[in-house]
Amino acid sequence: MQKIKKIINNMNLQKVRFVIQLFSFILFVYGGYFAIDLGSKLPIFACPYNGEAAGACYLIPFQHQLSMPAQILLGGAGIAVITGLLGFLFWFIFLNKGWCGYVCPFGTLQDWLTYLRKSMGIRYSTYSQSQFEKLSKVKYIFLVIVILFPLLMGVGLLGGEWSAAFCQMCPARIISPTLNGDFSQWTIDFSTKTAMVLTTLGILFSGLFFVGSFVKKRFFCFFCPMSALHYIFSKFSIVQLRKEGSKCTRCGDCYAVCDMQIKDIADNVTDVNILRDDCILCLKCVAACPEEDALHFDILNFRAFSSTKEGFEKRMGIKN
Amino acid sequence: MVDFIKRDNNDLFKNPVFAFLFKNTRFLLLLRVAVAALFFYAIYYGFAYPGKENIFTGAVFWGVFWALFMVVTLSTFGRLFCGICPHGFLGKYITKHGLKKTMPEWMQNRYIGITLLVIGWWGIYYTFEGFWKSPFNTALMFGAMTLFAFILYYIYKDMSYCKYICPIGTLTRAYDKLSFTKLETYTDACKDCRTFECAAACQYNLKPFTFAKKNQTDDCTLCMDCAASCEAVKFKITKPAEQLSSKLKILSAEVWTYILIFASIPVSMGFAHGLNRSKIADEFIWNKTAAFFGMGDYAGGFAFLYAILFSLFFAILGLYLASKVLKKDYASTFTTLGVAFIPLFIFASLGHTLEMFFLKEYQTIVHGFAQGFGFNNVEVEALAKRGDGWLHYFKLFKWIGVIWAFILLYKRIKLIDATKFRKVLGYFFASLMILFYIGLNLYTGYVFSTYGAKSMGHGGHSSHGGKPAYLKEAGDPQEGRYTQTRIDPGESFYFSLTDPGMKQNRHSGYGFGGGRPGSKKEVPTQNVWLVYGDINDKKHYRSSTQDTFYYGLNHQEKPIIEKSSRGQKVLGFEVPGNGYYNLFAVDESQTATERFYKVAKLEYLRGMHGAEGIYDPEIKKVLSQNRTKIDLVRIKDKEEESFFYTHAMGDTLTFQALFENRPLANAEVKIALQSGWTKTFQTDSGGYVSIQLIRDYFPDWNAFDKRFKQEMLITLQHKQDNTNYILTYPATYYPNTNDYQSYGYALLLMTLTLLIAGSIIYRFRRNRTAPFREVRIDAKD
Repeated sequence: MQKIKKIINNMNLQKVRFVIQLFSFILFVYGGYFAIDLGSKLPIFACPYNGEAAGACYLIPFQHQLSMPAQILLGGAGIAVITGLLGFLFWFIFLNKGWCGYVCPFGTLQDWLTYLRKSMGIRYSTYSQSQFEKLSKVKYIFLVIVILFPLLMGVGLLGGEWSAAFCQMCPARIISPTLNGDFSQWTIDFSTKTAMVLTTLGILFSGLFFVGSFVKKRFFCFFCPMSALHYIFSKFSIVQLRKEGSKCTRCGDCYAVCDMQIKDIADNVTDVNILRDDCILCLKCVAACPEEDALHFDILNFRAFSSTKEGFEKRMGIKN
Repeated sequence: MVDFIKRDNNDLFKNPVFAFLFKNTRFLLLLRVAVAALFFYAIYYGFAYPGKENIFTGAVFWGVFWALFMVVTLSTFGRLFCGICPHGFLGKYITKHGLKKTMPEWMQNRYIGITLLVIGWWGIYYTFEGFWKSPFNTALMFGAMTLFAFILYYIYKDMSYCKYICPIGTLTRAYDKLSFTKLETYTDACKDCRTFECAAACQYNLKPFTFAKKNQTDDCTLCMDCAASCEAVKFKITKPAEQLSSKLKILSAEVWTYILIFASIPVSMGFAHGLNRSKIADEFIWNKTAAFFGMGDYAGGFAFLYAILFSLFFAILGLYLASKVLKKDYASTFTTLGVAFIPLFIFASLGHTLEMFFLKEYQTIVHGFAQGFGFNNVEVEALAKRGDGWLHYFKLFKWIGVIWAFILLYKRIKLIDATKFRKVLGYFFASLMILFYIGLNLYTGYVFSTYGAKSMGHGGHSSHGGKPAYLKEAGDPQEGRYTQTRIDPGESFYFSLTDPGMKQNRHSGYGFGGGRPGSKKEVPTQNVWLVYGDINDKKHYRSSTQDTFYYGLNHQEKPIIEKSSRGQKVLGFEVPGNGYYNLFAVDESQTATERFYKVAKLEYLRGMHGAEGIYDPEIKKVLSQNRTKIDLVRIKDKEEESFFYTHAMGDTLTFQALFENRPLANAEVKIALQSGWTKTFQTDSGGYVSIQLIRDYFPDWNAFDKRFKQEMLITLQHKQDNTNYILTYPATYYPNTNDYQSYGYALLLMTLTLLIAGSIIYRFRRNRTAPFREVRIDAKD
C-alpha cells in the first residue's frame, strides 16, 4: 500500500493528465462515431451541436427545461428539472472540478493552444489581482443568464427566440462542431434582433477565445457558467482538494504553477477546503508543493495524491 | 447614556434614510397619528355603512394590515406592525395617566391572547363563513377590542395588555425571530453605563441593553423610544433568523403559537378551502362529522377543528418522541426544536397574500381607499390576471418555507447535546409536522389531479381560493364553443398536431403536448386532432364512421387511442422513441350520386433530445400498407438524416402516389400553403411528383421569425368507378436557414476580432517590454 502510494505521489502528473485529456477529447468530440452516448447531463462542454459528441452538456437540457411555461414547470414537470439536476450531480460528484481539468474537451483545447504557444516561444499573460477578482465574477453573470432567461421565457416575458440564450453566445457551440468539419455554426443569424445580437456575441466570444486562450492559460474557464454551477455543488463531491495550513510555508510554488491564478492556494493557511470557484482541479499545485502533505487530493477522505518532498524533488529533477 | 457612537456598517441607523424612517421621533409620531386616524376612521366607517357596499373598512383591516403588512414586515424588519399599532401608541399615553397597577398573576398569561386569536377569530372565521366579511362585524370587533384594551391600559402598568392579552401580541413576538433585523445596543458602550436611559424610556419595562446578550428582544415592539433616549441603541441587520442558530430562551407559549397558527391558517385553509373544493369533498372526515351532527353549514368549523387536531397530533407526538430519543426533558426539547416551525406559516401566508395582492387585493385596496376618502372616479385594474405565468412562482413560497424549516430544525438540533444517531432519529421525529404539511400539499395536488375540482357554485370566499388557478380554468366546460355544423360528404379532412380549439401559444414548438415528463415508465403519447377546412381556420372533424390507425417505429399497425381532454375528443398515439410514425384515418361517405373514400395521412417525425435511438438509413424505408386503397408516400431526401429534420422553403418534396399499392399515374396533387398559395401537379407515369416549396415569406426585418412554422396541405385526388379517392397529407416547413444566416458577416467579424484583439495584445506587450531608453537633456537648450 505504501509502495503504491509512493508511486502515485512520485508520478509525473502532467503526462497522465495529457493522456486522460486526449482520451476524453476524442470521446467527447468524436465519440458519436463509436456509438457512445452518455446522455445529456454531463458537467462539461461536450456540445451537442457537434452531432458526434458522446454526450451532451447539461446546460442545454437545463435551459430547455427551465423555459417550460411556468404552470407546467411548477406542476409535475418540475420533477424533470430535479431529476435532470440529480443526473448532473451524479456525474459531478465523482470528479468535482476534475471535469474541467481532465475531461472537458473545451478545456483540453485551451491547454493545447497553450502548448502551441509554448512551442512557439511566446510568453503567457496574466491578470493583475484586481482584474482577476472582477473577471472571475463574470461566470456568475453567465449562470444567471442560463437560469433567469429561460424562466422569463416560461412566464412569457421573453419570446421563443431567447431559447437557450447562453448556447447562442457560447463559443463551444461554434468551435465544437468545427472539430468535426461542420462549419454550419459559423454564421450570424439575422432572423431576429435577439438572435442577431446573441450570435454576434457568439462569434465575438469565439474570436476572443482563440486569441485569449493563446496568450492566457485557460482563458475561457474564467467565464464558464458550468464552472460556476460546479462550485455551487462542489461541497457534495466525493473528491476534494485540501490544504493543511500549518504545513504551508507560503513559498508560492503552487500559485506560480496555477493555470487559473488562484491566489488563495498559496496565501490562505486557514481553510482546509482550498477548492475555489475558478479551480479546475488539475492538481498542478499538489505536484508543485515541496512540503509533505501540505496539499492533498482526497477521495472520500482517503489521500489519493499528496504533496511530498520526494515527489517534488523527482519532478523537479533535483538529485540528492 | 451615550451621545455619540461610531455606528457599524450593519447598523440600519447609520443610513440617514433608514434612521429617519425608523428612528426620527417626529416622523414616527406623525406616522402613528396617521395610522391611528385611519384606524378609527375605518371603524367609524364600518358603523356608518354596515352593509356590503362598504369596501373601505375591509380594505383597511383585511387588505392592508392583516396579512399583507403583517407577514411582509414580520419576515423582514420584525414587529413593525406593533410599532405603529394605534393601541400601543395611544395606550402609552393612557398608561401614563392611569392607575399603574400590576396585572394579577392569572392575567399574566399569554395563552389568553392566543386563545382569543385562535378561537375568537379563526374559529369564527371558518365556522361562520363570511362573518368577518361584514364591515359591521369588523368594526364592532375592533371597536370592542379598542375599548377593552384602553381599559386595561388604564388599570395596569407596563403595557401588560400588549404582552398578555393582545391576540396578536404573542404572535408577533413569536414570529419576528424570522426577520433579518434585530434591535440591540453597542455592548461596549453599555458596559460603563450606570444610568440606563434605554430601560427608563421603555414603557414595556424591558432592558434593551440586555438584548444583545440575551440574543432576543423579548416583548419589544420596535417603538424606538429607547433609540431616541440613547445613541448606543442599534437596529442591526443580521442574516435571516440568525438568532435561531444559537441559544436563546423561547417561551413555550411562542411554540404553541407556531403550532396553533400553523394549524389555523395553512392547514385549515388547506382543508376548508383547498380540499373542500375537490369533487370528493364530501368524503373528508370533517364534512362527514359535520353531516353526522347535522351541522353541514358549519362544516368549515369542523375542518378547522380537525386541522388543529391533526397538527397538534403530529407536532406534539413528534416533539415528544424527539425528546425521548434525544434523552432530554420534554419542555426544553419542545421550545428548542419547536421554533423551527416558524417559516411554515410565514412563507405559506406570504406566497398566498402576495399572489392575492396582485390578483385582487391591490384593486380592492385602491377602490376601498378611494371610497373611504371620497374619490369616486378612481378605477384601477388588478395587477395580474389568473393564469399569468409569473404568479405561479408565489406557489413556490410554501416550499421555501418547508426547506427553511428543515434547515432551522437542523440548526436547532445541533444545539442539543446528544449522539449523532440520536440526533438523526430525533430530527426525523421533530420534523413530523413539517412532513405532515408536505403530505397535505402533495395530497391536495393528487386529489385535484385525480378527482378534479368541484364545479364552482358557491362564491362567498373566493378571495381565499386554495385551488390553483389553472385547475379552475381547466374545469370550465369548453363544449358548445364549437358549433356543430354538418360536414359536406366531399369535404376532405386531415390531421392536425395543434388543437384547432386552442389559441396558438408561443410554446407550441416544444413537445409538451403528450405524456408526462419525468415518468419514464409511461410511454409518452402525442396528441393529434382530425380537422377540416382551411389551414388558417381549422374546425373539428367529427364523424363516427372513420377508421384510425397508425404504424409505429417497426411498421407495426396499432389503433389510435381516442381520449377526451378538456371535454374534447382527442386522438393520441404512443411515441416510444425517435423515428417516423405514419398515421391514417379513413372515412367513407356517400351522396346520392357519388361515393367518397377519404384518407387523412400524417407522417410524424419524432425527435426528442436525449432520447435513445440512432438515425440509420433503415428507418427511411418506405412503409407499405394495404389497409388504405390510396396512399401518398414521401420519398425521403438523402440529406434527411436526423430526427430533427424540418422542411424549409426552397426544398423539393418528392412523393409517390399509390393506388392499391400500384403507382398511380396522372393523378391530381394539389398543394396549399398557409399563405393561401396553391398549385396543382400531375403525377408522372411512375406515380411520382416533385414539388418545390416556394419562398413565400417576405416580412419586414422586424417581424422576421425563423421559427415561424408554416403549415401546408397536400391533397391527392383520384376518381375511379364513381368513387372519389381523396388523400390529405399535411406537413410543416420553416423559412430556409440560408435566407437568414450569414457566413460572410460571421467570417468578417471573426477576422476583425482576431485582428483587433491580437494587435491590442501585441501592442500592449510591446509597450511593456520596450527597452528602457535614456532621456537625455541637452544642456545647451
